[in-house]
Amino acid sequence: MSLASIRIAGLPNGFALMPRRGAVSLFEIGLLIACIALVGIPLPQNLRDVVVLTFLYAGLALAWNVAGGYAGLISFGHAAFFGIGAYTSTILLVHAGVSPWLGLWVGALASAAAGALLAVVCARLKGPFFILSTLAAAEVVRIGALNWASMTGGPEGLSILPVSSLANMVFTSKAAYAALMLGYLVICYAVTMALQCSRYGYFLLAVRDDEDAAKAAGVNPLLVRTGAMALSALLTGIGGTLFAQYFLYLDPTFVISPELSFQLALLPAVGGLGTAIGPVLGSFLITPLSELLRAYLGHAAAGLHLVIYSAVLIVVMLYFPSGLAGALARLAGGRKPKL
Amino acid sequence: MLEIRNLEHRFGALRAVHDVSMTVKQGELLGLIGPNGAGKSTLYNLIAGALKPMRGEIIFAGRNVTGWPAYRIARVGIARTFQIPKPYRQLSVIENVMVAALQREHSVARARTLAEATLADVGLSDHAGAPVGTLTVGLLKRLEVARALAMRPELLLFDEIMAGLMPTEVAVMTAFVAGLPARGITVIWVEHVLYAIMKTASRIMVLDRGELIADGPPSAVARDPAVVKAYLGEELSLA
Repeated sequence: MSLASIRIAGLPNGFALMPRRGAVSLFEIGLLIACIALVGIPLPQNLRDVVVLTFLYAGLALAWNVAGGYAGLISFGHAAFFGIGAYTSTILLVHAGVSPWLGLWVGALASAAAGALLAVVCARLKGPFFILSTLAAAEVVRIGALNWASMTGGPEGLSILPVSSLANMVFTSKAAYAALMLGYLVICYAVTMALQCSRYGYFLLAVRDDEDAAKAAGVNPLLVRTGAMALSALLTGIGGTLFAQYFLYLDPTFVISPELSFQLALLPAVGGLGTAIGPVLGSFLITPLSELLRAYLGHAAAGLHLVIYSAVLIVVMLYFPSGLAGALARLAGGRKPKL
Repeated sequence: MLEIRNLEHRFGALRAVHDVSMTVKQGELLGLIGPNGAGKSTLYNLIAGALKPMRGEIIFAGRNVTGWPAYRIARVGIARTFQIPKPYRQLSVIENVMVAALQREHSVARARTLAEATLADVGLSDHAGAPVGTLTVGLLKRLEVARALAMRPELLLFDEIMAGLMPTEVAVMTAFVAGLPARGITVIWVEHVLYAIMKTASRIMVLDRGELIADGPPSAVARDPAVVKAYLGEELSLA
């Protein structure tokens, strides 16, 4: 008897133990409860940081996955959308006193517009050429942010006054930030679940798998891809604002760095592209690993944490080619996992 | 319902389709044959919008659709299959058909119902949940047909749906295609398995080096000296 076939008495039909498309599973509910517990229980400060970042990166990975996993638009430039979201809300706050709760949406929309523009201009490029174009586009945004010093502070960055209040979206308690990031993660997850079972979601998968066949089925590839990139950028931009409110300092060399872009693409790849649970698992494995290794080994043996981190990545990619979500599906005895 | 006037398309110096004019009537089962490289696939790609013609016009159901992109042509009721099957590799068999069904049925649940009915129609019900990677060539060809049918088209363009099939499969597929005009679907059918098309089609057109060289009932076309010559003397079998 496989795990997937186990049904718990009293649960509605189709309520599975393990994640599957179009239904909320016990696994997901259990994970959510564990996350809520992590927000609530007392933890040392450094572990709190890890929890906050893990939730934030899981949400960002889900956002990336909308374009990269479902639409096949592999982007190495998502840090640009993150940066546009972060800088828009922070500039509005610092220069005009606009609440981050409002700035968040302005940033998200600016980010979505940038995503749509990128897709309209570049989505006709195939494979590696598209990837390179996203990398280049993000560099344009980074250099723009560095040089537009009157607004962004340039290389000196931009600081948010740490006046804590709910209205300012600044908190003294890290638990509050953890709750905020968990909310973001849940929203990104819900969007992904809704996308998966929608008409538009099917069109995305079709365009990803075979553009000619999708066109013959009446699907306009450019429109579908543009929408996916805009939605992905919108969610990423929200994450940017949340990061700014947590870190209270922005600087282009981190916020719009290629390293961040790679990280955002890496988490879903490790977790499982084109699945809802994959990016979450990717972040839950990789983010704590990366943060804790740096914290505990960063001083003792400089560089060692990167060696271990890379070794884990290689092992995951070798033995779980369809990501952690694929491994989970195999464990659950479901059908052959999707790539 | 479909009228093509003086259609022209070249690849470099090669005249793939040269001054082709043809009319297809509602409810016809039109066979389109010709030697390799005659321009059949190019003609299909022009009609379906995958290629833009360099000259000429395509009128479908009273609308001039010349130069329209493929997805718009598909939406007005022209569905096609691909000579080399192009399934969505990471979707299941039924999900492949659902993408097509979603064009007419905007609700996912209703599209699933339509896809189920279409799979039953082509005999793929047993494979509905299977990943497409597990299908044989014969089943992939049936999936192509199912996807085209799920669009609820008025005009179907079949491109070599018999190639690679076992003789028993050919018989089943031939009977299936023969029944489509009665369901109100007009069919243009390109095929290399000549005996299947010769006994099923109501009319045959022959394309050679980009030009139409014959048009008529199968028996007359098979005896046409120009057609026999185009096939390099190969006897057309009506078996």
